[in-house]
Amino acid sequence: MVKAKRKPLEEIKTAINGYENILTVGCGGCVSVCLAGGQKEVNALNIELDRSFKKENIHKRFDGYTIERQCNEEFIKELEGNADQYDCILSMACGAGVQNMAAYFPTIPVFPAVNTVSIGIDKALGMYEERCRACGHCVLGYTGGICPVTRCAKGLFNGPCGGTNNGYCEISPEVPCAWQEIYNRLKAQNRLDDILKIQPPMQWQNQTPRTIIQEPYEKRYLG
Amino acid sequence: MNYIMEFSTIFSWTFAYDFLKGPMVWVSFIVFIFGTLFQLFKISSLMSKPERIRLSAGPGKFISPPPSPENKKSWYLRFKLSIAGVNPFMTSVTAVFHVLLLILPIFVLGHNILLNNAFGISMVSLPENISHRLTLVVILCALIFLYRRILLYRVRLITTFEDYLFLILAAVPFISGFLAYEQFFSNYKLVIGLHILSGELMLMTVPFTKFIHMIFMLIVRFKIDGEYSLGNGDRVW
Amino acid sequence: MFRKRNTASVNSEEIRAILDEKKTKMKLSLKACAHCSLCAESCFLFMSHDKNPKYMPSYKFLNSVGVLYKKKGNVDKLDLGEIRDIVWERCVLCTRCYCPMGIDIPEMIALARRICRSQGVYPQYDKE
Repeated sequence: MVKAKRKPLEEIKTAINGYENILTVGCGGCVSVCLAGGQKEVNALNIELDRSFKKENIHKRFDGYTIERQCNEEFIKELEGNADQYDCILSMACGAGVQNMAAYFPTIPVFPAVNTVSIGIDKALGMYEERCRACGHCVLGYTGGICPVTRCAKGLFNGPCGGTNNGYCEISPEVPCAWQEIYNRLKAQNRLDDILKIQPPMQWQNQTPRTIIQEPYEKRYLG
Repeated sequence: MNYIMEFSTIFSWTFAYDFLKGPMVWVSFIVFIFGTLFQLFKISSLMSKPERIRLSAGPGKFISPPPSPENKKSWYLRFKLSIAGVNPFMTSVTAVFHVLLLILPIFVLGHNILLNNAFGISMVSLPENISHRLTLVVILCALIFLYRRILLYRVRLITTFEDYLFLILAAVPFISGFLAYEQFFSNYKLVIGLHILSGELMLMTVPFTKFIHMIFMLIVRFKIDGEYSLGNGDRVW
Repeated sequence: MFRKRNTASVNSEEIRAILDEKKTKMKLSLKACAHCSLCAESCFLFMSHDKNPKYMPSYKFLNSVGVLYKKKGNVDKLDLGEIRDIVWERCVLCTRCYCPMGIDIPEMIALARRICRSQGVYPQYDKE
């Protein structure tokens, strides 16, 4: 799922400085699972902000509400009647959710309270590792399940560069060289042929906003 | 003229029979039609027609390319993935049951004779031996439903008293019609009275109970746009 | 069944108000459900939990929203805890469930989740 991390309190405070009535909206989807923007985090943020502002003798109204998902308008509709009493909305969802909220309430400023980091895995409770950069052209079949786009610092597609250092990347002795790992994994599965073929360069697809339409619905939207 | 009726007249079977055959039919049809229209209105008020999004590819816009014709889902695959493929037994039993439930009352000879006597019009009628056997099929389907409800845990778990009641209510017109035709019991009037009464009760309870799925299902399948809709639905909840 | 209910910590008025917002659709869905259990196979959780009937979409929505409606919101924290287990542990709101009648089951589950959240009952993803 999408992994995110809450912004530092100072940054959030600066954003909502000029507003009096703030609604913090949480999201029950990805950010809830990675403990960044669920109901508990909404309450925690509101308490922290309230206390921090009160120390400077500023009184603001902080209300919290968590909806199912902010990436689907149907769930944002729940807020419809109540949103106009607030002068700004602090959204704890991922970037997509924040944008959806902003589009749904075009007259109310919507601020993000978390930084969306990546698509990742739950490594351990509280620890989430990036695994995918949504490049749109998955080559994991050839690289034994290790993503060269994400794990290789240079995003190389056809083997390591000259900077691999005892199995670690030249950028840091703590970062394993992705291509060394790919080699090890494929060797154990006897599939080294996969990386002997030259892969054409990646057509970077994540430079323009992409829309996907699932097959059964093509006729409907593509006319 | 003496309009005061004695109790023995009111509570006689003849009176009950005449009442059921006469005014009560009108009452039940009126309740059925107006009740169903009311529910239809309620369901329609929950639906809205959103604007359809139209997309076209262009510079700076990336839309996933359409697949080649070979990737189109074949009819076989679509069938296998539908409810008919997943639960073929139940799908066929329920289809047969519902089709006959609607067809038999309309095309059975007895009803058409009554219609002809009352209004001078009637539909095409089924030959009596066929409608007689089809009634048995309906009763068999109802027994299969009862079996499921009693013996399958997954159905028993969500079953309420009303489910049994309405299954029996739906089956009684067919059972009593069958028995009346066979003249199984000597008191024909009693059995046919039960037939008429249960049919009327069933009609009257359609708008107010789960029988509303009769129209609910059709509206949702054909009008609401969703993963499982049939045809070109253009409304959403 | 006759457990003493401590409804002090649950705001029944609030629950009723939320139920009222979706009253028509909810009542229609609860009424139209034919209790046929044909929705079961469309739920991947049902299929992967050994076809345990407690994972059937109909069971889930009848025992969450259905219970809240029948009890008119007079539930206590224990009831909400059970509902929490049904709508969060046994459902991920993937919205792929199929009802032959056409009932919008995900919306009912989302409604139950909304009610739970309004009473401070929500999933804990940080339980070790």
